[in-house]
Amino acid sequence: MKRRALGFLISLWAVLTLNFLLPRLLPGDPLAALLDPSSSAYVFNSATRASLAEYYGLDRPLVQQYADYLAGTLRGDLGQSIRLNRPVGELLRAHLPWTLLLTLTALSAASLLGVLGGAEAAWRRGSATDKALVVSSVIASNAPVFFTGMILLIVFGARLDWLPLAGGRTAFARYGTPWEAARDYAAHLALPAVTLTLALVGSKFLLVRNSMIGVLGEDYMLVARAKGLSTGRLKRHHALRNALIPFVHHLAAHAGFALTGALFIETLFNYPGMGRLVFESVVARDYPVIQGVFVVVSALVLGANLLADWLSYRLDPRRREAL
Amino acid sequence: MSAPLLNVHDLRVIFAPAAPGQPPARVVDGVSFALDAGDSLAIVGETGSGKTTLARALLGLHPAGSVSGSVQLGGQELVGLDEGRWRPLRWQRIALAVQNAGTAFDPVYRMGEQIGEPLREHRGLSSAEATARAAALVAQVGLTERHLRAYPHQLSGGEKQRLMLAMALSCDPELLIVDEPTSGQDMLARAQVIALLRAICAQRGTALLLISHDLAAVSQLAGQVAVLYAGKLAEVGATRDVLSAPRHPYTWGLLSAYPDMSTARDLSGIRGQMPDPTHPPTGCRFHPRCTQAVDECRRVEPPLQLHNGRRLACHLGGLRALLRAEGLRKTFTTNGHLGPAQNVEAVRNVSLEVYEGEVVGLVGETGSGKSTLGRLLVGLLDPESGSIVFEGNPLALNNGSASRHLRRRIQLIPQDPFDSVSPYLTVCQIVREPLDVQRAGTPAERRERVREALAAVGLPTLDAFLARHPHELSGGQLQRVVIARALVLEPKLIVADEPVSMLDASEQAKLITLLEDIQNERGMGLLLISHDLALVRKVADRILVMRDGQIIEGGPSSQVLAQPQHEYTRALLRAAPSFDWYTTSSGGNRP
Amino acid sequence: MIREALRLPVAPAAAAHPPRRVRALLGSEGVAGLLLLLILAALAVFAPLLAPYDPDAFSGRPLERPGAAHRLGTNDVGQDILSELIYGARISLTVAAGAAAGTVALAVLVGGAAGYAGGWLDLVLMRLVDMILALPRLPLLILVNALLGAGLGTMILTIALLSWPPAARIIRAQVQSVRQRGYVRMARGFGGGPLYLFARHILPQIAPLIVFGLVTAAGHAVALEAGLAFLGLGDPTAKSWGLMMRHALNLPGLLLTDRWLWWLLPPGVCVTLLVLALALIGIGLESRLDTRLKQR
Repeated sequence: MKRRALGFLISLWAVLTLNFLLPRLLPGDPLAALLDPSSSAYVFNSATRASLAEYYGLDRPLVQQYADYLAGTLRGDLGQSIRLNRPVGELLRAHLPWTLLLTLTALSAASLLGVLGGAEAAWRRGSATDKALVVSSVIASNAPVFFTGMILLIVFGARLDWLPLAGGRTAFARYGTPWEAARDYAAHLALPAVTLTLALVGSKFLLVRNSMIGVLGEDYMLVARAKGLSTGRLKRHHALRNALIPFVHHLAAHAGFALTGALFIETLFNYPGMGRLVFESVVARDYPVIQGVFVVVSALVLGANLLADWLSYRLDPRRREAL
Repeated sequence: MSAPLLNVHDLRVIFAPAAPGQPPARVVDGVSFALDAGDSLAIVGETGSGKTTLARALLGLHPAGSVSGSVQLGGQELVGLDEGRWRPLRWQRIALAVQNAGTAFDPVYRMGEQIGEPLREHRGLSSAEATARAAALVAQVGLTERHLRAYPHQLSGGEKQRLMLAMALSCDPELLIVDEPTSGQDMLARAQVIALLRAICAQRGTALLLISHDLAAVSQLAGQVAVLYAGKLAEVGATRDVLSAPRHPYTWGLLSAYPDMSTARDLSGIRGQMPDPTHPPTGCRFHPRCTQAVDECRRVEPPLQLHNGRRLACHLGGLRALLRAEGLRKTFTTNGHLGPAQNVEAVRNVSLEVYEGEVVGLVGETGSGKSTLGRLLVGLLDPESGSIVFEGNPLALNNGSASRHLRRRIQLIPQDPFDSVSPYLTVCQIVREPLDVQRAGTPAERRERVREALAAVGLPTLDAFLARHPHELSGGQLQRVVIARALVLEPKLIVADEPVSMLDASEQAKLITLLEDIQNERGMGLLLISHDLALVRKVADRILVMRDGQIIEGGPSSQVLAQPQHEYTRALLRAAPSFDWYTTSSGGNRP
Repeated sequence: MIREALRLPVAPAAAAHPPRRVRALLGSEGVAGLLLLLILAALAVFAPLLAPYDPDAFSGRPLERPGAAHRLGTNDVGQDILSELIYGARISLTVAAGAAAGTVALAVLVGGAAGYAGGWLDLVLMRLVDMILALPRLPLLILVNALLGAGLGTMILTIALLSWPPAARIIRAQVQSVRQRGYVRMARGFGGGPLYLFARHILPQIAPLIVFGLVTAAGHAVALEAGLAFLGLGDPTAKSWGLMMRHALNLPGLLLTDRWLWWLLPPGVCVTLLVLALALIGIGLESRLDTRLKQR
């Protein structure tokens, strides 16, 4: 487990370094263009220009820039947004909770559905239900998220008008009770979360189903049946418990996929998470914001990797010693 | 007499085909047996005979609809029960220790948890109570609490095997099914498991159903044995009877393929392969591999029924005596040149049997009458009294024409090849002679059979070789020619009288191996007459010792060699060649 | 050479019947995917014949509803949507082919070198693989493409640069095992150089993996391109399906009318079909390859 933690730190360092080097070393000098009056990317606001020059510090030696950058990032200073003229750290703090809410909701829902559905399908493999679930999972996990999202948005938001079209909450709403607030948040969350769940559930379902089928063929399952255990105990206590090991192991990759999927979905649904922020920053060439999102999302994905490793290590006694 | 604990009647396990249009797999096909409370029964057979499938059927572990027939446990019918009714029976009344204990435990739970699980599920014990019971069980199989706390991957195969037994005993079942408890284990672990099982069954009075191909383990653990072949029972009886005197050809083959410390002869597998359960042979399932199969065996399935006190599934009543000689007597009269005419009783009231596919060694000193006996059997000499029955037909004592047809099925390989072939004939003519005499087939067919026979004994079949004369051949080659001549009529019994005594040691070894291979491949009987015990023990299933015209001792090779009853046999054994190191006068053996 | 490269393990009987041979290679899922892919590829190749208009020409009034002249209507500047859709296949397939080729080329190069050479080179390259695998791919793609400015070539290159490691890992394992086989050692004994050995003995063994890698990489590339174009990071001059969707969504109130039915839905369906076709071929191939793919 120590090795995993070390790997996490090394990857984090690599992300921070890439974030430093890429803007400076890529052809076309994108940063210099911001300060070059002859460039189309020239920043006209002089106060913003000054804070950019201060943040990137392009006139200092590269090593000095790197040291300043690392120290600043660790303090939480991610620069100033060109478009909004606010500190990037502040922007991210405002948007990150929405993204996390969406991602974690969808991830939990997809995991629950994928595990239960995959286990049931494996238990009845070959049945019509199983086949239908497999086919729809292949389709759902391959359709681009922004496309599924669009269809849901149009059908349930625009056509049927059941759910709000955009945003994370009703603008300027004043809630009388926490219950009202929760309802409003949930209504806004529903469509984006369903979209992301649909995108995630297919691969989870297929993974659980396959590993469960593998487990069902093991000798210990035969013995468990011969012991006269109840079907529920066989299914959950023995089969599912073992099938979960590879599932948890893959959860890390799924977490990264979920986060990046969320970026698209937020754009589509105008959900106030980081996706929307990226979308608008790309148009405005707001590099500090894009870089800040990159660092935060990367750190989250790496953290999810570490967490999944730790979980699968808890679940599998054979790995506990190997590590 | 009360009803047996387990009564299996006409049990069938037929698996639906993997793809539509293919035939179903009839893995267990009409098996019946019974097991009394506290008794033990072993089911033996090769891999693929359906043993494990049978065991799992007794616990209802096969898909619904694949099992038919009847399984009664204490009078309750089990076949057709639904999963909910099976559950309380499993482990509480019938428990199973599966074959591969290494993968039989769930890798994510501790051993104690898994052993206690049936107690908590069936008996409603609390976690602490179950753990206490598990600790007692584990102590009973000679392991400690440390093993209870271990995960499966932390234990050795032998430890897991024992914990499997502890787990199987947790609910005190009436019937314990143990599938291959000794396979894949080293000899010491194997001995421990056997001792443990004996102790368990003795202490608890648990009935034991042992599934195994380990005949030695079976002999130590089971009172009764049932031999399973291709999903059908071939032979059933008391273990001691079946394993010491197998009656079904399959049981017999299984035993001769099984190595144990008392085995004397080289092992020979059963010829052919176990049939595919999707395409079982017609008639008797064993007939393609059986050396004595007759037409009926190919057409009609033999029922399991009593034949002379043994339950067998064989049309012929089991292994047939190929040759049965009774009360043979032969006296030679010396012609009195040197003194008064004297009667020498060369063979005095000898009876013997040779079974299908069996190798019998007949040993004795020169002058003991063994060669005379051999000649009597093949009809070169006529006995004064007694009878010879071959394949169920009495051979006329005088060489009548009716028995000539039978005679061709018994062939002699004589001691001295030079003496037994005409120096004026070519190899081809020598080997063809029996065919010419019996007027078998066209000349072209005869020539073809000559070539086949020569090829079978490892000789060239070129025209140049066929045209050679005996003096152009070595002793070994000529003896092979003689063997080829004996084979050309496709005999059922070969009497070989000192077939290799004229040859050097290396040639002897090659020829004996050859004879053995041919015998096993063609399923012939072989009566090997020799003075050389060291040689005979390598090939013979049974050894007869002859002295002064009488058979003074006989039995399975291992028994005769290990525990000779007669002083004369012991003398022969001492005289057999062995390396005894020359030592100086101070005596004693080498350090 | 192509016949050689496609020589996957096939039952001998299947070789006699060409259609059956394809089926044996891909399975029924794979055949369905291949047919779908061929239809979309035909759109791309025969775009000038199939499209009623030049997709960039202002062939009608803005925001026309579907009619006889414009089967799928026109966009906000009066370009024919059906023609845009047909030409869009070219962009998606170009990115798919380019990125897949780049990904697999890098994977063969790195995986082949690491597996063949072993030793310190293997160690260094595999650490590199681990590093890149640990980086979050989409955020990095967004950052790099935002910094470099939009362009189809940039996109293909960056996708390839970030996608090769998983395939390289599989190829390395296979090369390592092939290298140990008797006939390769024999050929080396006869004096065969690394290039000869690679072309004659190793390439045929990793050919199935290369085909599989191409198909999966192409599928991912299509989805990535559409996503990046959708975020506004695509080449504004290369009108891909993703860019069409972005344009459509930029129209205020699009969702309040049924205009999305012919403007937004068709490109979305096309992207989904293309990704699905490639995924199906991949599934078909995977289930018929040996377990070596399961090492991933």
